[in-house]
Amino acid sequence: MEKIEKNAKKVIEKTKKLYGNSPDVNTRLINLKGTNIGIIFLESSSQASTISDFIIKGTLYTKTNKNLFQNIFDALKNSLFNSQLFTINDYTQFAYFLSSGFTIIVVDGFSEAIIMETRAQLDRGVTESTSEPILRGSKDSFTESHSKNLGLIRKRIKDSNLWFDEMKLGRRTQTRVSIAYINGIADPKKLKEIKKRLKKIDVDGVLDSGNIRDYLIENKSVFPQIQSSERPDVVSQALLSGKIVIFVENCPFTLILPNVFIDYLHTSEDENQKSSNITFTRVLRTIALIITIFTPAIYIAITTYDQNTIPDKLLISLAIQREGVPFPTTFEIILLTTIFEILRESDLRSPSSMSAAMSIVGALVLGQAAVDAGIVSPITVIVVAFTSICSLIFTDIDFMNGIRTWRFIFILAASILGIIGILSFAIIWLVKLSSLENLETSYLSPFAPFSKKDQSNAIYKAPEEKIITRPDYVSTLNPHRQRRTK
Amino acid sequence: MKKLAFILTTFIIAITLTGCGGYEELNDLSIVTAVAFDKTDDEYELSFLIANSPKAQTSAKEGEAKTTVYTGKGKTIAEASKDIEQIVPKQVYLGHINVVVISEDIAKDGFLKIADWLLRNPQTRKKFYLLQAKDEKAKNILKIVSPLESFPSQSIATLIESNSETKSIATSITYSNFISQILEKGYDPVLPSITINGNVKEGSNEKNLETTEPESYLVLGPLAIYKGDKLEGFSTTKESWAINVLKGDSKEINYNVKYQNEKISIETSSLKSNIKIIDEKNIEITISGVGDIYNINNKIDIQDYKEINKIEKTWMKSLKNDLSKVIKKVQNKYKADIFGFGNLIYKNNPKTWKKLEKDWNSKYFPKLNVKIKTNLKIEATGSLINTIKEDK
Repeated sequence: MEKIEKNAKKVIEKTKKLYGNSPDVNTRLINLKGTNIGIIFLESSSQASTISDFIIKGTLYTKTNKNLFQNIFDALKNSLFNSQLFTINDYTQFAYFLSSGFTIIVVDGFSEAIIMETRAQLDRGVTESTSEPILRGSKDSFTESHSKNLGLIRKRIKDSNLWFDEMKLGRRTQTRVSIAYINGIADPKKLKEIKKRLKKIDVDGVLDSGNIRDYLIENKSVFPQIQSSERPDVVSQALLSGKIVIFVENCPFTLILPNVFIDYLHTSEDENQKSSNITFTRVLRTIALIITIFTPAIYIAITTYDQNTIPDKLLISLAIQREGVPFPTTFEIILLTTIFEILRESDLRSPSSMSAAMSIVGALVLGQAAVDAGIVSPITVIVVAFTSICSLIFTDIDFMNGIRTWRFIFILAASILGIIGILSFAIIWLVKLSSLENLETSYLSPFAPFSKKDQSNAIYKAPEEKIITRPDYVSTLNPHRQRRTK
Repeated sequence: MKKLAFILTTFIIAITLTGCGGYEELNDLSIVTAVAFDKTDDEYELSFLIANSPKAQTSAKEGEAKTTVYTGKGKTIAEASKDIEQIVPKQVYLGHINVVVISEDIAKDGFLKIADWLLRNPQTRKKFYLLQAKDEKAKNILKIVSPLESFPSQSIATLIESNSETKSIATSITYSNFISQILEKGYDPVLPSITINGNVKEGSNEKNLETTEPESYLVLGPLAIYKGDKLEGFSTTKESWAINVLKGDSKEINYNVKYQNEKISIETSSLKSNIKIIDEKNIEITISGVGDIYNINNKIDIQDYKEINKIEKTWMKSLKNDLSKVIKKVQNKYKADIFGFGNLIYKNNPKTWKKLEKDWNSKYFPKLNVKIKTNLKIEATGSLINTIKEDK
């Protein structure tokens, strides 16, 4: 790579050219007894006040104590007030540092440049989590600032064995990606594999953790195999259980690996509440999962193929409701489910000031009016509403979408084959789920393969003092998480 | 490719071999909830009660459903059913039949002649209630609308269910049960009967629902006594409960004991009947149960356990008398072994039964010596400790 010239003026000109004369490239040339000192920074990403306070002041200050040092360069290097200060001697990382908000100082006659941190605060503060709200537990969430995010974890786990491995991904974005793990708990094999997969990525830009998650899985599936969370407590819990967490710069969502199906039935709150009640809540979530996948399909199957299974009064009530509805039941269900999915999607995308209007249109027009107009029967509205409410229990958007895909598959299966169709597709579904594997962890662990030990925190949650070990499917390196005291 | 072929084959097999291709939208079905069998001269008359004919401009509520009765005629039941299918515009669906009513003509002619069609039909559930129409055409029973239930078949079913255990006139007998009872050796079945109090025309009119005192309504009648598959006659209401007690079908009855010239009403519960065969000529029936004094107008001191004992004794004696009278009547008048004594003999001693079988109903059953033992106890006296009287 090109060495930095010994002429400050030349370096400044070159930098301006490098950035295509963009107006935010700010330079200053200070003449110190015949020696030119060049200061280069990007106005857009650095804090101007820091630069004037420390660099310009510091430069002028060197005038007075210059005699203490051999030359101006050393005087500058040693007397500037900043915690992050180092030197480079070529152009390789020139752009990276400038764009990250560093200030570059070059001195005539020296082929080295001083780099100093003068970053502008281009992120919001730590706020409450909006995508994973909880009642009982810490409320903070990750932000777009990489160091803040790592700090939120350091704050929670003070062990020096909490290690971060950093690499830069994206040819143009040069995004910092940190792999966090606890040395001595996390499985080194899994860690090695993750690093191997990340190193293979050669893409122009990584803007979000979502961009790299597809590189980290082995088998394709509609269900997410990597958990994503914006809560520091969730991440800390994951780290403590031996999981590996990936932080991506400028993205509040972290990736947690390895991840299993049962994790989506857990919330961070489960650790904070009474364990005896949590078991009940988890059973409810499991029921909701089954309901949200199967209800529309079962409704179609029993009303169009197996009417025998419906109680007399209900059957007649259903038959009367269907009277005058022009479409087949399957079409009705697909129509309403699709409308709901569109409604959910548009509600997510629209600004919050419009969502009130949206809910009026959604609830009144689509629900009430469609029934009154005789397009759909009331029971269909109930079935679809019930299904949708149950699906909203799960916070992970990818998991919800996975459920949605299979719900549609089951609806089609039920409309062609009835109950038999649901059953045969349920078998296919289970086979697919249990054959999923990532980082040597089966997706249906700890149920398939069955591990009796890990049932203490699967659906049933044992009292905290009874959960002695970490789950086997995550790491077997250091299994004991607590010592039994007598 | 191989995988795809495998999946496709699985599907083709699943679709073709399971036999579950019966796609049917609910609103294309005519849901039959009750069936009536009648007979005119040499033709069968089959009637379907269809529950889901909607009113014009329906609002979607179950109560808004209107019921319609369709009738078809034919030399066979199957022919009659085809006759109805020509009138009913939608697909007739028999999966939810709740009640089957047969007329006296059918019953006298022999029930087994018509039994096959409903049993053989793969759609039907086989668990519906069977009822004997009394003094009326079976078809008319289906027409009566009830103010308390949304459609007639439901009102008949609830009527039987609530009556069978507590009020003891009727027992609930399902279609398939009844057939197996007919076919059992040494056993003659009974059927609950149903009749209309009032006029059919008024009862089938929706206006019947609008009055506070309906002009016509359905009542459960006494038991119909069968001999084999043929109707022999109807018992009286009083005999009906006695038969049910003896058969062990009713667990609760309300019994009036005459004690010191006043009637004491006793609510009897946990009734049990135990039939014991001593030999082919002697049979012993033990009735046990507990009672609760329900109504007493005497000035008897019922806090005195001696009085209670006396009441108990009178009660046991009187019940025993009533029951023996009924057995005598069944033995001599109907000559139908509705208690299944013959069946018990057959089960205990098949060899003896072979000798008796031929002339059982005509010769041996009427001459049976039936001994009744009662084992009853008054356990409570309701909410009051004593009778209402002045202090002395």
